[in-house]
Amino acid sequence: MATSMISKNREQAFMSNLTPDWLKTELTTGTTIAAVEFDGGVVIGADSRTTSGAYIANRVTDKLTKITDKIYCCRSGSAADTQAVADVVKYQLNFYQMEMGEEPLVQTAAHTFKELCYDHRDNISAGIIVAGWDKKEGGQVFAVPLGGMVIRQPFAIGGSGSTYLYGYVDSQFKKNMTKEECLPFVANALSLAMNRDGSSGGIIRLAAITKDGVERVNLTGNQLPKFYEDH
Amino acid sequence: MSILDYNGAAIMAMKGKDCVAIAADRRFGVQAQTVSMDFDKIFEMGPHLYIGLPGLATDVQTVSQRLNFRLKMYELRENRKIKPKTFMSMVSNLLYERRFGPYFVEPVIAGLDPKTFQPFIASMDLIGCPMITDDFVVSGTCSEQMYGMCESLWEPNLEPEDLFETISQALMNAFDRDAVSGWGAVVYIIEKDKVTKRLLKTRMD
Repeated sequence: MATSMISKNREQAFMSNLTPDWLKTELTTGTTIAAVEFDGGVVIGADSRTTSGAYIANRVTDKLTKITDKIYCCRSGSAADTQAVADVVKYQLNFYQMEMGEEPLVQTAAHTFKELCYDHRDNISAGIIVAGWDKKEGGQVFAVPLGGMVIRQPFAIGGSGSTYLYGYVDSQFKKNMTKEECLPFVANALSLAMNRDGSSGGIIRLAAITKDGVERVNLTGNQLPKFYEDH
Repeated sequence: MSILDYNGAAIMAMKGKDCVAIAADRRFGVQAQTVSMDFDKIFEMGPHLYIGLPGLATDVQTVSQRLNFRLKMYELRENRKIKPKTFMSMVSNLLYERRFGPYFVEPVIAGLDPKTFQPFIASMDLIGCPMITDDFVVSGTCSEQMYGMCESLWEPNLEPEDLFETISQALMNAFDRDAVSGWGAVVYIIEKDKVTKRLLKTRMD
């Protein structure tokens, strides 16, 4: 009887105005994510903000998640859903790698994501960009947006902040960019989105994936690219 | 999302030694999108009297305009500058008039008495319930964060320079944990003989 009284109180506290909103709202990686192919690999990037409603629950989130040594994914949407899906894909590809005796292809990873995102499309909220390097096709970027389609693109943007970037990336993208051109392309795009989107912010996390491995770079504080600022 | 969270804002006021400070962020946004970074939410109501208005932006503008009108009429009739406590009651009356269809603003008032220069700060809910404190008042979408910062950083009898540092750090670190406020900040330090307005360099995300 004592336990049922306690749980009733907790339910009332939950339902009442006493509990703040940020204890009741799902965590989302509001987000801006981007990825671009170059000859020899890919550059991927993300902001670092996780929000619960308007509260910033984590300001140093890592949204670039390793799937295999040479394949990463950029996560946007529900934090829980994307972590769960990425964990399943990581497990499945690890198993695949042990069976086949060689590294999985980026398109295999992308299609594995697609299977999960499409089959559970009504129950999850996950916008994912899969990017990496394999020895068959080199650097590749695949977008797996909300409904669970897969599409290979020379560059991809995603998350709530990406809406502010379509004009920018369409005007600044050039074919056959080098790694050194791709890094500022992604960094500038993320910085612009972080400036306008409330759900994106914090630091810029970048990663360059090539046959030689993964190089990670963080841009913090004053290192963030600056654009028009009133003062 | 509640209507008070639609535009997003963060405002606070603190008492110091013979001075008061009032500070606000400068963002004007529509839910997650930031539209401009130079939206003023603190309005001068007298040489030593300021009001900060967080909440729905349209009501921020309307309330400040209507309040200004009432204040000018008061000054014409009384032929003197209004006292901060009386001004607080004026704001409270304006808001309670709309008890069943309120203005979505929760004001913060900071000032010095025009004769004695006693520091005064107060805040109010959207239907005009006034609250006078001796330390600090906060209002906005990140009020919980601001309470935490003020409670830890504030101490009594801070000199104007120290009060500036304290209120700046309290405000900035609070709105850096809020997705809908920030993008610049303005701080007013109000002393007997001068008012200093400073713009803070903040994270623009």
